[in-house]
Amino acid sequence: MSTKQPMAERSATQIVADEFMIARAKIVELAATLDRIERASGNVDDSKNMQLLVQGIHILIDDQVEKAKRVQLLMSRDYDPEWQNIMSISKKGG
Amino acid sequence: MDYIDPHLHMVSRTTDDYETLARMGCVAISEPAFWAGFDRGSVESFRDYFRQLTDFEPKRAAQYGIAHYTWLCINAKEAENVSLSREVIAMIPEFLECKNVLGIGEIGLNKNTRNEATIFLEHVDLAVKHKQQILIHTPHLEDKYQGTRMILDMLMGDSRIDRSRVLVDHVEEHTIEHVLENGFWAGMTLYPVSKCTPQRAADMIERYGPERLMANSAGDWGPSKPTAIPDLIMELKKRGHSRELIQRVVYENPKTFFSQSKPFPH
Repeated sequence: MSTKQPMAERSATQIVADEFMIARAKIVELAATLDRIERASGNVDDSKNMQLLVQGIHILIDDQVEKAKRVQLLMSRDYDPEWQNIMSISKKGG
Repeated sequence: MDYIDPHLHMVSRTTDDYETLARMGCVAISEPAFWAGFDRGSVESFRDYFRQLTDFEPKRAAQYGIAHYTWLCINAKEAENVSLSREVIAMIPEFLECKNVLGIGEIGLNKNTRNEATIFLEHVDLAVKHKQQILIHTPHLEDKYQGTRMILDMLMGDSRIDRSRVLVDHVEEHTIEHVLENGFWAGMTLYPVSKCTPQRAADMIERYGPERLMANSAGDWGPSKPTAIPDLIMELKKRGHSRELIQRVVYENPKTFFSQSKPFPH
């Protein structure tokens, strides 16, 4: 991790110590959800939501920063800077 | 610690909640007009709702020593009904001189449609013409990023807008930077599932600092927690942050922002 924040009062070691049990519980919940899907009937290979979950999990374990922001963007509709022209919405107020 | 909740829908909470808020240190709230859980059928429904926000709720809050302020609009979900929206917008000025009205809000987008954008711009025009502050609702979940960018495009395309008098609410990790770097105030909404947790809000305070940043609980009729700000205070204390920093986010910043409206004590 390269982005250390100046306002953070805690060291990385301290954060792991403080939050291990919370993070552990969240990983177990996610694992159990995947188990539940695996045990159930039906196939989700073509499910867009399932694909998003898998891509999100890959973000958690890659070597890049800004994981929360990247997961959020992954799960977001695209923004088109030309939307006002497409919708015929005035660009200038007043 | 005294705090202000800048976005709390008390019409959907019990009087017991006012008492709990007072015990937790809440000294003032601001309540934006919002969706009632169903689409209202006439402008008269909104007139009654605005009477509730400007007359009844301040009295209920005052019983527990809490100052109650409000914002008026027709919300984005009901903006698909353009004719009703225009009737409501035309009626809002009747209430703008009420002593607890801080401005126009929470206006914004929901599904990022053309009708929503049209009514958003008409609300902005109303606010500018009446020199009102603006409180913005940004969409949730997969619509948030696109909708927030669209809202910022519309605000920044209007040269009449004073960005220091606009609060953009419900920011999260992928939208906060766009809001702050363009000079607007940003609000983080603490919510059990679909919005932001106290822990993630604390992360954003550490990441971006306290400048023009505040937190709220929403406290609406959905699964929400009106005492979420004390949870954020606890989280920041646990992380070793100073009383000054915490007080700035949960008290001083809302006070500074609201003080730009005539009804708020200067």
